[in-house]
Amino acid sequence: MAMIRQCAIYGKGGIGKSTTTQNLVAGLAAQGKKIMIVGCDPKADSTRLILHAKAQSTIMQMAADAGTVEDLELDEVLKVGFGGIRCVESGGPEPGVGCAGRGVITAINFLEEEGAYDEELDFVFYDVLGDVVCGGFAMPIRENKAQEIYIVVSGEMMAMYAANNIAKGIVKYATSGKVRLAGLICNSRKTDREAELIEALAERLGTQMIHFVPRDNVVQRAEIRRMTVIEYDPTCKQADEYRALAQKIIDNKKLVIPKPLTMDELEDLLLEFGILDGEDESIVGKTAADEARLAAA
Amino acid sequence: MSQDVTDIQQGFPLFNKSEYQDTFARKRVFEEAHSPEKIEEVFRWTTTEEYKELNFKRQVLGVNPNKVCQPAGAVLCALGFHKTLPYVHGSQGCVAYFRTYFNRHFREPIAAVSDSMTEDAAVFGGQNNIFEGLENARKMYEPEMMAVSTTCMAEIIGDDLNAFITNAKKDGRVPMDFPTPFANTPSFVGSHTNGWDNMLEGILRYFTLFQSAPADDGKRAVNEPQPGRNGKLNIVTGFESYLGNFRVIKRMLKEMGVDYTFLSDPEEVLDTPADGEFRMYAGGTTQAEIKDAPNAIDTLLLQPWHLTKTKKFVQETWNHPVSSIDIPMGLAWTDAFLMKVSELTGKPIPESLEKERGRLIDMMADSHQWLHRKKYSVFGDPDFVTGMCQVLMELGAEPLHVLCQNGSKKWAKDITKLLKDSPYGQDAEVYIGKDLWHLRSLVFSKKPDFLIGNSYGKFIQRDTLHKGKEHEVPLIRLGFPLFDRHHLHRDTTLGYEGAMYILKTLVNAVMERLDQETMIMGKTDYGFDLVR
Amino acid sequence: MTMNRQESEKLIQEVLEVYPEATGKQRAKHLLANDPTLQKSNKCIVANKKALPGVMTARGCAYAGSKGVVWGPIKDMVNLSHGPVGCGQLSRGGRRNYVTGYSGITVFTDLNFTSDFQEKDVVFGGDKKLAAIIDEINTLFPLTKGVSIQSECPIGLIGDDIEAVARKKAKDIGKTIVPTRCEGFRGVSQSLGHHVANDTIRDWVLPNRDDQQASIESTPYDVLLTGDYNIGGDAWSSRVLMESIGLRVIGQWSGDGTLSEMELIATLKPKLNLLHCYRSMNYISRHMEEKYGIPWLEYNFFGPTKIAESLRKIAARFDETIQANAERVIAQHQAEMDAIIAKFRPRLEGKRVLLFVGGLRPRHVIGAYEDLGMEVIGTGYEFAHNDDYDRTFKELQDGALIYDDATSFELEAFAERLKPDLIGSGIKEKFVFHKMGIPFRQLHSWDYSGPYHGYDGFAVFARDMDMAINNPCWGKMTAPWKQKAQAVGTGVAEAA
Repeated sequence: MAMIRQCAIYGKGGIGKSTTTQNLVAGLAAQGKKIMIVGCDPKADSTRLILHAKAQSTIMQMAADAGTVEDLELDEVLKVGFGGIRCVESGGPEPGVGCAGRGVITAINFLEEEGAYDEELDFVFYDVLGDVVCGGFAMPIRENKAQEIYIVVSGEMMAMYAANNIAKGIVKYATSGKVRLAGLICNSRKTDREAELIEALAERLGTQMIHFVPRDNVVQRAEIRRMTVIEYDPTCKQADEYRALAQKIIDNKKLVIPKPLTMDELEDLLLEFGILDGEDESIVGKTAADEARLAAA
Repeated sequence: MSQDVTDIQQGFPLFNKSEYQDTFARKRVFEEAHSPEKIEEVFRWTTTEEYKELNFKRQVLGVNPNKVCQPAGAVLCALGFHKTLPYVHGSQGCVAYFRTYFNRHFREPIAAVSDSMTEDAAVFGGQNNIFEGLENARKMYEPEMMAVSTTCMAEIIGDDLNAFITNAKKDGRVPMDFPTPFANTPSFVGSHTNGWDNMLEGILRYFTLFQSAPADDGKRAVNEPQPGRNGKLNIVTGFESYLGNFRVIKRMLKEMGVDYTFLSDPEEVLDTPADGEFRMYAGGTTQAEIKDAPNAIDTLLLQPWHLTKTKKFVQETWNHPVSSIDIPMGLAWTDAFLMKVSELTGKPIPESLEKERGRLIDMMADSHQWLHRKKYSVFGDPDFVTGMCQVLMELGAEPLHVLCQNGSKKWAKDITKLLKDSPYGQDAEVYIGKDLWHLRSLVFSKKPDFLIGNSYGKFIQRDTLHKGKEHEVPLIRLGFPLFDRHHLHRDTTLGYEGAMYILKTLVNAVMERLDQETMIMGKTDYGFDLVR
Repeated sequence: MTMNRQESEKLIQEVLEVYPEATGKQRAKHLLANDPTLQKSNKCIVANKKALPGVMTARGCAYAGSKGVVWGPIKDMVNLSHGPVGCGQLSRGGRRNYVTGYSGITVFTDLNFTSDFQEKDVVFGGDKKLAAIIDEINTLFPLTKGVSIQSECPIGLIGDDIEAVARKKAKDIGKTIVPTRCEGFRGVSQSLGHHVANDTIRDWVLPNRDDQQASIESTPYDVLLTGDYNIGGDAWSSRVLMESIGLRVIGQWSGDGTLSEMELIATLKPKLNLLHCYRSMNYISRHMEEKYGIPWLEYNFFGPTKIAESLRKIAARFDETIQANAERVIAQHQAEMDAIIAKFRPRLEGKRVLLFVGGLRPRHVIGAYEDLGMEVIGTGYEFAHNDDYDRTFKELQDGALIYDDATSFELEAFAERLKPDLIGSGIKEKFVFHKMGIPFRQLHSWDYSGPYHGYDGFAVFARDMDMAINNPCWGKMTAPWKQKAQAVGTGVAEAA
């Protein structure tokens, strides 16, 4: 039996994780790979470009409606979309109530028990909410689940800060199992020296920038149509980019236990690239009025 | 207020004295109590059909449930292994409760530890607690295995047991090869019976899949099982609260000359002698026996309704057929059990058991007239309730209400068929997901002769008596837990022997009741027979 | 004989050796040889700290302190176990806090109300379910005076807003609803649960009638009984005693208690608040002193010596009539108590007792044992704070062992070394010591007996200690054939 490669995509909220994941998965599917996407975000927007849907019915919502998760059947929650890609969404509560992390645990346990991880699959991708906020969101990287972690990042400060935090989370699980960091995917925000910066961050973390995905409006045009670029316009340049990323993931052998940076190291890196200004001790604790007085003087 | 030194009275009947009754009356003023008329009116209303309907419309409120949570079952399962300390990852209060619960049923010490997770662990995760907890518990209590389960707290914050335990070993808190099987046992899923099943599956998985300590890559190759090689039968009792049931199954197998391994066997640790020495550990399934278990001829599940995870594992990993049996309660299912054992092992059923069987039938013949068409409301765990219904119908008695809060829809379908296939089960009504407050309404609405179940049933008896002696439904104590009678947990409900005990209990309950009803001189005394 | 301080300290050191180093260091701070001259405990014993993982603590949780101890006994309210089914079921009936009334109609103590949380409730939150539950309670149990919501672990973890639900539903059904944040993972023991429960009485109950006129006339002799949970009827045997000296008991908190007895405080303002279990109800006592000017007084109703002492102390807060009554009541009971002591003391004289209990008993029962000629050689609390130890030193003999949050390992080691004639502790400990051949009484639940408070209670207490210690079974632990072998062995040794 061929091993199913299980990959989890993490990254700061709003960075374009779901879009990137679905486009790259479409790229893989275009090459004939069999894939399942497991959305691990209560927003349930990890599969809509594949399914051409607003939001897929989620495992947790259907379980709540049915009574318990035991009352669900796999084919009720698993939908097939573009390129034969199988899609499930764990689902969860509205923001501010309940426990979304627990929803992820429940959903993945359900998929395992119902035999969703079938041997024909080449890849499983977990698209995970923003940061690793609690143990539940680390469920996809536990023993026997995702072993390759990709972090979607951009040249913005908070994105890199989040990436470093996620690397810290990976270390915790890497020491006890096979979970490894597989690379940073730079989803460009067109900041200065972005590729160079992410390359540098990747190197410090002991990993690689597996691909630099440039910014292109075709992505938004496809999204409005609830499609991936690969499906919407397979001939465009951006489709090439996603296919390239897909190929690199297929070929990727560089799986590492990351070496997260300390806060000081991260700050130094950001300073080096001019993302962060050096701290000016003289302005600390000065009110606007103080400053106005100083300026007047 | 005065105690007579020659007749010191405790609570009852002390508080029946007038000075106490007077103070209760004075207190009622400050209680702003409802009027006696109002209270009686509302009580009567709670016994009506109208109330029953309202009660069954209940969607979300639980009143007097008849189940406990998963980790409680996990602790009982873990206790059945040799020198094994049940270790619960999560809040400490849960473990205090598990221990007291089993203390009160078995009247025995119960050793179990928690790793006392508190607010900081809720925020940062419980890895540090596992580190310290495993280290402390091993040093202090010198177990040879710690079986880890979880409380709802650890489940909600999403602690990764496998990773944390492995990290603890890598950190040197316990040796790499120290056995630490584990199971996730969230309290908000299923019940105590699932917890038992999950813990056993975790233990079997650990020893027969992970093979002692996980290596660097997390696990080692499956040790290829060779079913039949050791010539034994594996017996899995499931969540079992009668000591006699361990003993009777062992005795029957011994009489057949069949070698066996019980997968979880707390018979000794839950029945240690008082001889001056406290034994924290006693008996139990050894690690060698677990490792050898895949080589048995087959694995028999005595309570198949709640051993689904165990069944799946044993079938898929050990390649055992897990021959289908019903709980060996009553005559026919004990027959079937023995025949299955004979079929699997090739050993004949000996004369001694045939004689025992004959003695049971003899008892049935002796007592049948007192049990014929008596009506019973039965509640408890799924396998127990199924077995109990089977016994009742074999005795010519009739299950009336059959209530199992932790029964599945599939279970309900199955037992409904069992009941409908017998002339004695035609009137039976099956309820799942309902609690004992529902059952209270049911027995007010359609009165059985007796209620069969655990100690919680006593409140139903009291409530029915309050309506009037003619409405009283006496409780016959069979099941778990049994807190308010002594030593009933020592008895037996499985095998021919168990059927004899149940029969004896049922028939004498009928006599007791009859005596109560016929000892009124000048009224019912004619029926107060010396000979029955 | 009690060990002297050096011997006790040596024993403590020996027991500590088994622990991993860091754990031993922590535990050392919780163990002490008594010095009765000590006034303040904070320099010599550490209390109310987290139990160490894996040590088999006897402690419970905040839920046990709130639902089990403080709120559970309030009989005319539904005390809902909010969360998964286990907590309410595992604790049902275990405390033996007696009530009398119409179960399921006006009294709800022996029922178990649960929201039986399922996976979906955890994921989506339980507030809507809670609101619906309160409606169902109100429909099916119309005479209930209110509902208290006893939070289990998940409630705090998933961030449910039970206060908002309580406010809304209180308006909807016109009854008192009390949200209690006693999740089991909070705090280090039951103790936080007591505090949380006290605070909810302060915030959600006491103010309810602040603006109302008294419906009952107050008298100069009104008192409130707090910190008595009516275990086996304790509060009743205390109540009759208070009444016999001419006081009027206007409320019992919370044994056999009612919502009205709590709410009436604001209008009745009793003259004195009599506090038995300081640990679990000092918080609300301090608050009532501040808010209503009701002073509080600790007392002890275990054993005739402490009872007489306490009655005089209480009477001293009232006029001469009450004081005379107290003297008369003490005198009236003298003969009865003399008879009890005459009967039991010869059977118990010099017997040595080891205690490990909860709130007040590790110190409060010492006097009762001493009345019977018995000696407490070691005592400890499951969940004390330092102010409990401040109150303990003077009650205990020099050199006696003191242990805070003892692990089962420590308790067994102490028992093995000290060979006490009686151990008083809980159900988790009981059977361990039965096996060891040591007579045992549960001192949480009174071992299915009671009351132990007051004069009536002391008679039961004395009888129970006698029947435990002098039961014939303890002498028969060794089989006669083994006894013979031992005797022969000894004989040979002596001859040699």
